[in-house]
Amino acid sequence: MKELEKIKRISIASTLFILAVLIGVLTFERPKNMYAFNTENTLETLTTTSYLISMDELDKNNSVLIDVRSQYEYEKGHLENAINMALPEILTEENQLILNDLKDGKTMVVYGKNVQEANMPFLMLYQLGFTNIKLLSVKLDYLQNKLIVSKEEVEKPVSNIQDFINESVKNSKKPIVLEKVKAEPKRVITVQKKKKKPVEGGC
Amino acid sequence: MDKKKIARVTSFRYQILALIFILLAGGLVLLPKYQKQEGIKSEALLSHATSPERYISTDQIANKIINKDPSFILIDVREEESFKNYSLPNAINIPLAKLFDEESLPYLNQSQFDVVFFSNDHFYADQAWMLCNRRGFKNLRVLNGGLNTWFTTIINPEKPSQDMPAEAFELYATRKASSMYFGVFYPDQQAVAEESISNTPAPKKVITVQKKKKKPVEGGC
Repeated sequence: MKELEKIKRISIASTLFILAVLIGVLTFERPKNMYAFNTENTLETLTTTSYLISMDELDKNNSVLIDVRSQYEYEKGHLENAINMALPEILTEENQLILNDLKDGKTMVVYGKNVQEANMPFLMLYQLGFTNIKLLSVKLDYLQNKLIVSKEEVEKPVSNIQDFINESVKNSKKPIVLEKVKAEPKRVITVQKKKKKPVEGGC
Repeated sequence: MDKKKIARVTSFRYQILALIFILLAGGLVLLPKYQKQEGIKSEALLSHATSPERYISTDQIANKIINKDPSFILIDVREEESFKNYSLPNAINIPLAKLFDEESLPYLNQSQFDVVFFSNDHFYADQAWMLCNRRGFKNLRVLNGGLNTWFTTIINPEKPSQDMPAEAFELYATRKASSMYFGVFYPDQQAVAEESISNTPAPKKVITVQKKKKKPVEGGC
């Protein structure tokens, strides 16, 4: 009798245990949107490889353009054959499926209103493991509702600030010469005077 | 006969149970392994990256520098060469490639000061911001437009044209004043200074009023 009860207990305990393990395995969820690179790896690739391409270098047959502007801006005008994927939505399941299809194939080329705007989605996708990704260095403008694509150089200083300051100091030491405003010569308009004619006879 | 068989199987019952558990344990080992993720989750990082909260304007920074605000540090992520040529006052140079070097981490990974990244534009500064943000560093900001905007707004502000609103003139005056603080001289600056010197109060003039002399009474009519 005692033996029987012991078996009962053991079997109940073991079935419960197996059940728990099974439930654990079945509900094991794969975490989404995992990073493939840590920050140090990413930094190294950022500083050692060239990830920027210009419009001329773009191989149209071998790359897929990704427009990261909002849908409204995309519909207003976009580059040929570009896919729209606004920055806040790049991690949605739908978009991740599209991106995963592109993962081992053509080069993904990200572009936005300017390079700075496309920088964030580019970095984000790179860290998620899309290594075949490039950044298009263009600037988009509109002229009379027509999309204009111009080249943009990244991180190009507009001017040498130190030189500008030195120059201004130098200039300030020069005595100020006030330019005399020359009075415009008076224009002489000659009006031909009517000659007085001798009085002619009236009627 | 049946009973005998059952009895024989049941005599192995503990071994069978143990075998099942060992198999299950083996299964756990075979479960796919995931590398432990560094830093904050990708969704959180994306939402941080989407918000423009991190940008700080050049006017704000100029104001802070002039008022000697001690609550922030400036980090120049450009190359050392450009840093030596010109940088913001009291900026610390951490080239992007050396962002995670041991010497630079104490500056970035602290909660005492606001960290403001800047470069020529905000392209590299944004990259530095994103990587540091992923690591969970606090109080990170980016100078909007970087040194290029710094030049066009603070160092060499554009003079407003006559038809612009009064605010534009006020802004120009503030920016011009701050550019003088950062070392720019204007040709009219000296003239103004000299003028203010010559404006010393003039000596009081003594005005003598000639008194009318009393004249002898003249005859009336």
